[in-house]
Amino acid sequence: MARITLDRVSRVYAGGALGVQDISLDVADGEFLVLLGPSGCGKSTTLRLIAGLEEVTSGRISIGDRDVTDLRPRDRNLAVVFQSYALYPTMTVRANIGFGLRMRGMPASEIAARVDQAAALLGLTPYLDRKPAVLSGGQRQRVALGRAIVREPEAFLLDEPLSNLDAQLRAEMRAELVRLHRSLGRTIVHVTHDQVEAMTMGDRICILRAGRIEQVGAPLEVYASPANMFVARFLASPPMNFLPARLEAGAAPALVLAPGVAWPVPPAHAEAWGRAAGRPVMLGLRPEDFHLEPAPGRIACALAVTAVEALGPETIVTGDLVAVPGLASLKARLGRGQVPRPGESLTLHADLTAAHLFDPATEAVIPRPSVPQPVRSA
Amino acid sequence: MSMAGRAGSRGRAAQAALHLGLVLACLAVLLPILWVTRVAVVPASMSYAPGLLPELSGENFEALFAGRFPRSYVNSLIVAAGSVALAMPFAVTLGYAFARFGTAGRAGRFAVLATQMLPPVALVLPAFAILRSLGLTNSLPGLVLVYGALNLPFLTWIMMGFFKGIPVDLEWAAMSDGATAGQAFRIVVLPTALPGMAAAAVLGFILSWNEFLFALVLSGPRTATIPVALAGLQTSNGVQIGTVAAGVVLAVLPLIVASRFIQRFIVEGLTFGAVK
Repeated sequence: MARITLDRVSRVYAGGALGVQDISLDVADGEFLVLLGPSGCGKSTTLRLIAGLEEVTSGRISIGDRDVTDLRPRDRNLAVVFQSYALYPTMTVRANIGFGLRMRGMPASEIAARVDQAAALLGLTPYLDRKPAVLSGGQRQRVALGRAIVREPEAFLLDEPLSNLDAQLRAEMRAELVRLHRSLGRTIVHVTHDQVEAMTMGDRICILRAGRIEQVGAPLEVYASPANMFVARFLASPPMNFLPARLEAGAAPALVLAPGVAWPVPPAHAEAWGRAAGRPVMLGLRPEDFHLEPAPGRIACALAVTAVEALGPETIVTGDLVAVPGLASLKARLGRGQVPRPGESLTLHADLTAAHLFDPATEAVIPRPSVPQPVRSA
Repeated sequence: MSMAGRAGSRGRAAQAALHLGLVLACLAVLLPILWVTRVAVVPASMSYAPGLLPELSGENFEALFAGRFPRSYVNSLIVAAGSVALAMPFAVTLGYAFARFGTAGRAGRFAVLATQMLPPVALVLPAFAILRSLGLTNSLPGLVLVYGALNLPFLTWIMMGFFKGIPVDLEWAAMSDGATAGQAFRIVVLPTALPGMAAAAVLGFILSWNEFLFALVLSGPRTATIPVALAGLQTSNGVQIGTVAAGVVLAVLPLIVASRFIQRFIVEGLTFGAVK
């Protein structure tokens, strides 16, 4: 069993710099958990704490039924894959992959058999006698993976293993890692700052900021119900749009963006959002919540287009609301072939049923139906 | 003449001036060496004679080998190699501790360099006093000890630089692969640092090989190193310039070989292939 549990773990560096603060996290046996966050958020620190490469300042870490907080890295039976791959430059690929087995005193014949098996699995057989220096980035990455797999550890800890690969190779390795996870069935903790990796690979995502957990949940669940503005901004690209507004109560509650510009609150959300009536709020709308076609409940708004990024499958349009100049720059995602020109005025239809309201002071979401209460930790 | 043509000729003139400057700079460095070589291979009587190579002769080398020079050559080899062998283990471990764990803090790391900041004259008398109390004056072990101590700060700092260049990921990988911290150092870090250790060792060897002041004070007639032996050729009967030149040529040979090594090690780089 390789359930990994962090119980109120903190790491404070000499001089008072904060690594992570009060992290509680439960990674189920066999789960693929993604730690996501901007650089410096503590995600790599968390991984190193689990691996035992850094010592916790307070809190406990356990793997399965064992409390490993005070165990050395070698006694935790975890495999770590580093962003730099950290291949031993003086050893051949064969020696690199077999290193962990050698350190555990496995007989040479068994090491050879296991290395050959892992090399075959990863397509490294022709390179076994080469040094890392002559391998390509993708091959080095595979050697690093091979070194981890061959040990059959209780869990894998991956520290941005794909970030040094080019886009195409990264997409291939993403799929390969997911496949490996399925075939090995081991627990994986994967650190990344890439939202695509987080959305496509993980069973669950744990989003960190400044050493604290912001939200934990299944990728689509976090996308659909961000706990706060940071998560809403970070989890998608382009990020969610935010419009400062004021919620006016009454027979027909409305979001007032500016004097005379009021968007009616969808009836489904009226009761939940009513708690914020009379207060300033932040209206969050994802770029994909703007549509060219009108529909019942959608609110027409004219956009003065300032920039257009035609990506092929989709077009990202940037512009200002014509009704409220200078309120905020908005991004909208349009479908294939819908390419307006900068300077043009474009009428879009915002779907407020998909919108979120946030408290501008705390940045926390104001819950509404179909938005479960934010999950602080598992 | 077209604009392009004028620009081209100006470019060529600048190139020519640049190369002339480079040639002059090379000559400034090379001429003394070439002249010493010339003096070494012509008869002693023609040392100051005009002409590039009036006559070739081995008599300077014969005179050199008839004296105490061969002994001092062996002495220099023993002292230079011995002092490096003595200092390197300390330099490697200390440099690693400095680089990885910040041992002794910034102030401590600079304190290690303190002896390098004093003029050698200020150190040679204490060194003499210490060696005398140990009964090691006029002995090769005494010189090895002193040169080892003189080399240590410098080698430590070189090794610290090399260890800083080795990503800590390598050790972390080794430790999560089941190695102890000691095994990670011995099996992963040391082999990776080998080129750096070789470069440092060669530099330490050169420093010891050329050292004069301490050798003059601390060695005796039977333990003189090459610089002391060559200085001994300046007698009351005048400087035996031909013999000195022959000695210099032989003394420089190992350094030329060594500097080729250094270049290769440094150019090869340290952790190429460890990280992308």
